[in-house]
Amino acid sequence: MNSLRDYFNTDWGAMTATDWFGTILTVVIFLLLVGLFVHVLRPKNREKFESRKYIPLDEDETVINGDNNGG
Amino acid sequence: MDAAAEQKYDYGVVRWFTVMSVVYLVVGAMVGVLIASQLAWPILNFDVPYLTFGRLRPLHTNAVIFAFGGSVLMATSFYSVQRTCATKLWSNRMAWFTFLGWNLIIVSAVITLPLGITSAKEYAELEWPIDIAIAVVWISYMFNFIMTISLRKSPHIYVSNWFFLGMMVMITYLHVVNSLAIPVGMFKSYSIFSGVQDAMIQWWWGHNAVGFYLTAGFLGIMYYFVPKQAGRPVYSYRLSVIHFWALMFGYVWLGAHHLQYTALPDWTGSLGAAISLAMIIPSWGGAVNGMMTLSGAWDKLRTDYVLRFLIMSLAFYAMSTFEGPVMSIKTVNALSHYTDWTIGHVHSGALGWVAMVAIGAIYHLMTRLFHTELWSTKLVNAHFWTATIGTVIYIVAMWVSGIMQGLMWRAYDEYGTLAYTFAESVEAMHPYYAMRAVGGGIFLLGALLMLINILMTVAKASSEGSVQRARTAIAAA
Repeated sequence: MNSLRDYFNTDWGAMTATDWFGTILTVVIFLLLVGLFVHVLRPKNREKFESRKYIPLDEDETVINGDNNGG
Repeated sequence: MDAAAEQKYDYGVVRWFTVMSVVYLVVGAMVGVLIASQLAWPILNFDVPYLTFGRLRPLHTNAVIFAFGGSVLMATSFYSVQRTCATKLWSNRMAWFTFLGWNLIIVSAVITLPLGITSAKEYAELEWPIDIAIAVVWISYMFNFIMTISLRKSPHIYVSNWFFLGMMVMITYLHVVNSLAIPVGMFKSYSIFSGVQDAMIQWWWGHNAVGFYLTAGFLGIMYYFVPKQAGRPVYSYRLSVIHFWALMFGYVWLGAHHLQYTALPDWTGSLGAAISLAMIIPSWGGAVNGMMTLSGAWDKLRTDYVLRFLIMSLAFYAMSTFEGPVMSIKTVNALSHYTDWTIGHVHSGALGWVAMVAIGAIYHLMTRLFHTELWSTKLVNAHFWTATIGTVIYIVAMWVSGIMQGLMWRAYDEYGTLAYTFAESVEAMHPYYAMRAVGGGIFLLGALLMLINILMTVAKASSEGSVQRARTAIAAA
């Protein structure tokens, strides 16, 4: 291997249907993951997500001191 | 006494899973200490084939991973899914089927592995009839869990249930594919995969058993039991969501890093190592999320011994999820692979992370399930220190031994011949093997203290009639 170009060289003609299926699926899932991260980290969604962290404490109706722990 | 919860939820099967998990922890650790001692003092093989290292080693791994780990996962998930969904189990009867089936599988492993009946697949040694039984029992567990979630009273599914569910779905898929085999008799089969494909499938399963069973499942425990024991909500719920999806997306790629410098195509190992390094980010995010749950209340660690287990486990989780990716890099792997460094890494995760978070959860569960205080909190403290010291001695011994081993194997003289024979490297490791056995022995001592404490707590609850009172208190109300 002489360069990065050699390292990443791909013989596109040799790609099988399975190769294409796997590649496309992986890229789609990765993009969905990026979309999810953007959705979760958007400031306007913060309250909606953080309100759910009290579920294990609310089950006993003993939320401790109303701490938010800064989350 | 939480009489309302006793009446509202199905606790019986959870109690049995919880107590049996401690029994299996002791059995698994005991076999581990024996085989560690066999490596230091081979006379302990006793010339009895059933007790030799080769047969007992898979018994040790199966006992700690599937008997102890499985029982803990089933106890904690069946408990927390009911609590967070505010509903009983969908089917208590099916949960008992899962309990009996899982324990029968454990018994079959205890019988077949010492007899030398094995498929020779690491962490999947059991033969095909038992593999089918595992699939059936595991699906019953998953189906019951999913159906319980479907009965939930709240619209949102709490993050711990996501982690448990991710584990259940992925382990079903991994176990079935990895166990595909052609039977040639009742107790012998051959994998349908061959050559390098077989190796890749083996480590696709092997690393994901770590990633989904021993990490995702136990993170489910962490996300429920750390907030419960600390009495504070998890630091950031958004971070937990990102942690979950990054883990689910990333872990499946890592298996190839177990096969660096083999017949596997070079790029596959590089990809495995690259994604391994990327996984440090969500793993550390999760560890920080768990630890920061104590933000502003660190003083609780002074008095709450159960919380100590849970927080210490997160420190080990952070450490081993950094060490693993480093070991997957080819240049490091060239030194570390096939040496005891790998064993040290595995045990920093298994003893430090998996066992400690499980132990913390079990102590938490005992007081809630049996409606009484633990028999001895001093024993919990003693257990914490024996577990921590034992783990540290173990992993330090293996780090030193492993790095020394790797350096000796690849040292050569000015003529290009190897500087050491293999036997010389074995001889050099002897003190560290003895040290490892001592570390494991100290950890085992802690597990025995825990078993005593748990059994005495059950006896105490029985003599107080606390479980019965919890049931009837509701009936009276």
